[in-house]
Amino acid sequence: MNQIPDTGTLHILNKAPGHPRFVACLAAMSNQDTLILIENAVLALPDTDTVLPRQTLALEPDLEARGLSGTAEPGQQISHQQLVQLTEQHPRIISW
Amino acid sequence: MTNSPVRNNEGFLENVSSWSPDIAQDIARESDILLSENHWEIIWFLRGFYAEHEMSPPSNRLFVKAVREALGDDKGNSIYLMQLFPGTPAKTACRIAGLPRPTNCL
Amino acid sequence: MTTLIVIDQAPYGSWAGREALDMVFSLAAFDQPAALLFTGVGVNWLRTAQSAKGVGQKTVEKNLSAAPLFGVEKIFAEQEACERFMPDTSSRLAGIDLVASVKNLMTQYDHVVFAG
Repeated sequence: MNQIPDTGTLHILNKAPGHPRFVACLAAMSNQDTLILIENAVLALPDTDTVLPRQTLALEPDLEARGLSGTAEPGQQISHQQLVQLTEQHPRIISW
Repeated sequence: MTNSPVRNNEGFLENVSSWSPDIAQDIARESDILLSENHWEIIWFLRGFYAEHEMSPPSNRLFVKAVREALGDDKGNSIYLMQLFPGTPAKTACRIAGLPRPTNCL
Repeated sequence: MTTLIVIDQAPYGSWAGREALDMVFSLAAFDQPAALLFTGVGVNWLRTAQSAKGVGQKTVEKNLSAAPLFGVEKIFAEQEACERFMPDTSSRLAGIDLVASVKNLMTQYDHVVFAG
């Protein structure tokens, strides 16, 4: 897992591509923010229509469930424990 | 009596992996069924079915159909299965084989 | 009369699709023919190598493999959505009929039901 700058906002997204909140979340992201894809949102990784921010991570059990482990870079996959650590490191979190 | 695993109010195992042949015999005994070679053939068929599809045959009719496809007309008919597993054969057989309750069996 | 059941929602995130699958098996239990159509983000149900143990669910791919045995006549998927989410054809389950026009397919069925 890459070192996360602690200045940005942590965006936690669980909506599938095409969902209004998925669109709103990507539109709300700034350069220093981090995006975490969980549940249905992990489908953004194989989606050829979606351009994801540079700092995007995805929850590993949700990738595995959907047969998507191969679509994420090794450094992009995080465990539940790492997700908890990230939420502790970020003063600002938006759960979409 | 073997170490008994957790079961629901209808006697189905809560966890498919807690099953063993000994447990099958215990469950069958509760319904006064003494397991024969013919029973075991169906039980192992159901274990394999679950491993492949992660579900029980959803109804009695589809249980019979699944057995017919795998083992032929002699075994895949409701009279044969009813004789082996009295009551609702899909329910009785799945209970003994440690599978979840078939969803569409009343 | 065959019922066409349409799944347009992503797998695992909600129960909608699972309920649709139960509906298919219920129809089959009473010898009512059924067909399945996956559209939009719903085509992600049809990806190979799913493993739902980590999210505490049954793997949809394995459930679906029982569908033909239980009299589900056809499994259709929207071609455009498959190309969007699974451009690599090896990541798609076998035995799926791709449809270019969802609208045309739906007109061929008298009874169409959307999941969820």
